[in-house]
Amino acid sequence: MRKITSLALGSVAAVVLIAGTARAEYPEKPIEFIIPFGAGSGADIEGRLVAKEMSKVLGQPVVPVNKPGGGGAITYTYVKNAAPDGYTIGWNSLSVLTTTNIGNVDFDYTAMDHIGQVEYQPMSFVVKADSKWKTFNDFAADCKANPNKFKIAFAGIGSGTHLAAIALTQASGCQAIMLPVKAADRNAKVLSGEADAASHIFTNPLKLVKAGKLRFLTLISSERAPAAPDVPTAKELGLNVELDLFRGLSVPKGTPDAIKSKLEDAMIKAANSDAFQARASKIGFTVKPMGIGEFDAKLKRNNEDVVRVMKAAGLYKSKMKK
Amino acid sequence: MNPDILSGFFQATMASTLGATAIGSLLGLIVGMIPGMTISTGIIIVLPLTFVLPPDISIALLLGLYVSGMTGGSFSAILLNIPGTPSASATAIDGHPLAGSGDAGRALGIAVSASFVGGLFSFLCLFFIAPQLADIALQFQAPDLFSLVLFGLTIICSFAARSLIKGLLSAVIGLMIVTIGQDPMMGTQRFTFGQLNLVEGIHFLTALIGLFAIPQLVDNFSDMVRKRGEVHPARQFGSVLPKLADLRRIRLPVFIGAPIGAFLGILPGAGGPIAAFISYDYARKANKNPETFGKGAPEGIAAPEAANNAVTGGALIPMMTLGIPGDPVTAILIGALLVHGLAPGPLLFIENGDFAYGVIFSFFWANIFNIIIAFLGLRLLVKVLATPRALLMPTIALLCVIGSYALRNNFFDVYVMFAFGLLGLAMRWLDMPVVPLLLALVLGRPLEEHLRVALAGSQGDPTVFFTHPYSVLFLGLAVLSVFWSFYSERRAKKAAAVPQQQTSP
Repeated sequence: MRKITSLALGSVAAVVLIAGTARAEYPEKPIEFIIPFGAGSGADIEGRLVAKEMSKVLGQPVVPVNKPGGGGAITYTYVKNAAPDGYTIGWNSLSVLTTTNIGNVDFDYTAMDHIGQVEYQPMSFVVKADSKWKTFNDFAADCKANPNKFKIAFAGIGSGTHLAAIALTQASGCQAIMLPVKAADRNAKVLSGEADAASHIFTNPLKLVKAGKLRFLTLISSERAPAAPDVPTAKELGLNVELDLFRGLSVPKGTPDAIKSKLEDAMIKAANSDAFQARASKIGFTVKPMGIGEFDAKLKRNNEDVVRVMKAAGLYKSKMKK
Repeated sequence: MNPDILSGFFQATMASTLGATAIGSLLGLIVGMIPGMTISTGIIIVLPLTFVLPPDISIALLLGLYVSGMTGGSFSAILLNIPGTPSASATAIDGHPLAGSGDAGRALGIAVSASFVGGLFSFLCLFFIAPQLADIALQFQAPDLFSLVLFGLTIICSFAARSLIKGLLSAVIGLMIVTIGQDPMMGTQRFTFGQLNLVEGIHFLTALIGLFAIPQLVDNFSDMVRKRGEVHPARQFGSVLPKLADLRRIRLPVFIGAPIGAFLGILPGAGGPIAAFISYDYARKANKNPETFGKGAPEGIAAPEAANNAVTGGALIPMMTLGIPGDPVTAILIGALLVHGLAPGPLLFIENGDFAYGVIFSFFWANIFNIIIAFLGLRLLVKVLATPRALLMPTIALLCVIGSYALRNNFFDVYVMFAFGLLGLAMRWLDMPVVPLLLALVLGRPLEEHLRVALAGSQGDPTVFFTHPYSVLFLGLAVLSVFWSFYSERRAKKAAAVPQQQTSP
């Protein structure tokens, strides 16, 4: 009899315990925040700031972990395969569209759920400050008249800057020599005159533009950048191209909606925090928080653009299992 | 005046940066002193711990370690006749006899003072030459840069002089390893065998930890098994503060050693050990009583010590302005800067001028802390020589695993590290120098990138390398460097009949 009683008591206790955990508020333990690029990069510093501000909102530490490699492929694979419990989130970027479509992994961006966007910065097209080209149309006309003469530097085949450069030259109908040069050396290439122009993410040449050594010709974006309000967008110049380097959050597919909306709320608060805004105005990117619905629509739109440009350039190698 | 100079100075003089420099100096003196631990090993072990620090502070710490490691190496050379680092080999020739005649304190004091002057001299070179060189380097285009990197690769010859075949083989292995990963032009994956962890190639620092630290651990372990006992240094010595008469005596050798060291530091190809032997040789020739050399002449301690510390500032010049390492330690420092998102090169002085000058002033403070800590703490520091290796070596092994994991938070890299450890062991057994491989790992990628960008720009025309004036200059220097390194190696060997070591300073 005593045995049965204790067994009954034990099972009641167990049920209470289980129910207790189920009802406990998310998050009840630290959250892993995966950053797809190396420590010290812009993506890393901004990601760490967002993680810090999010932990203030969520009341649990949000721990940044760098998992660089394969243009983000290592991080996205890790996030995709993690348990959909809200304790693993990925700091995504435009790379979630490029590294997938170029075929580094066998899935596309829809293999994960996405929480939203925090910030973005446009792709830019820069020349030397004392260059004869004052506007992008000057360059395009000159380039059209002299095919295969001018050299445009960009990051590497299939990267965002490459797609931007291809899209620009395709839209303006010119032929140029493409030089793949990593970000650290690209400004030097333009300054030394070896490359006539460079395709860059906006913040990279910004310091040198402000120092009067380089000039933006156009931004490949939907709207002008607050940090350089005089530079026209490609759309304004009549070129139908738009490619922003965005950053936001992704989670494993199937994460419960309640958890996703909690993360969405924390992310938007982090984006609007003073610390993050201060960083944005120092570096020059644009804070534009975007929730789940809006961001999904943007990803879909951008993915179509990326696929279109990649296919036109013969780069599309998606290995997605159909 | 350039406002960056001022903000760089304040950045380097903040309490936190100064503290890091001082800790680095202390670590450097200890690491340098322990035979079997080179400065490179010390920096590799400390590096992962600095990832959490801001870049200026972590570089300050590493610079402290670099500068003081050069000085620390002379302590064990003088007290034990075992150079703590290869750069201190020449110091042992006169340092140990002087210590043996009961004047260990005097020998140590001379070494520390000469190191200080050598370091300060190279600081001045760094401060005045580096920004000018960066301005010129801004004009370099891909063909020039390719020839420059090729010139940088000729450093291999000075480490391969004992067996050219083995040295070149080591370099070729390194060049093959850097082809793993994405092709820099086309993005095609090479030699990744579908392994996602290899897409970005093998991280240079992961390879380094395995190559340098693992064979050293195994060596130390087998030493322990064979000898069982520890070496005990002469612990009796008088005042370490040098007397005025001594300072006057070492004036000339110090002023011979410092410029030689700084100059050879700037040139890729020489580095600490060679600079030390060459200046020892010149100091003997310039001395009125050359026959006292080898029997405990203070001048014979001062010249190589001034030279090997002057190498540090010299080697930082091409590292900061061109991204080309002047010696193996600066090769690792380049990796450290890249980890922090700072690319050493001519634009460092424009885009991050305050940081660049911060590094230069941190180097200055490192020399100040070096002399202060060395004089104040010498008596305590030499006790490190009696630390049981049974404690030291497991700690290092643990730090190797942590370090290789922490680079990318990826356990795959730990396996890569051990694989390179095995490679390092194999190379040691084959008596193959590791430094050429290290240099190929650092310079291989830029070599390929600049070559291919140059050829893409010229539409495949290889004559660009001979029509760009800077490119022609560097190709000429590369040829000269090959001959010079053979010449100086032979000269250094003649100067001192002690065996040259094939490790890094």
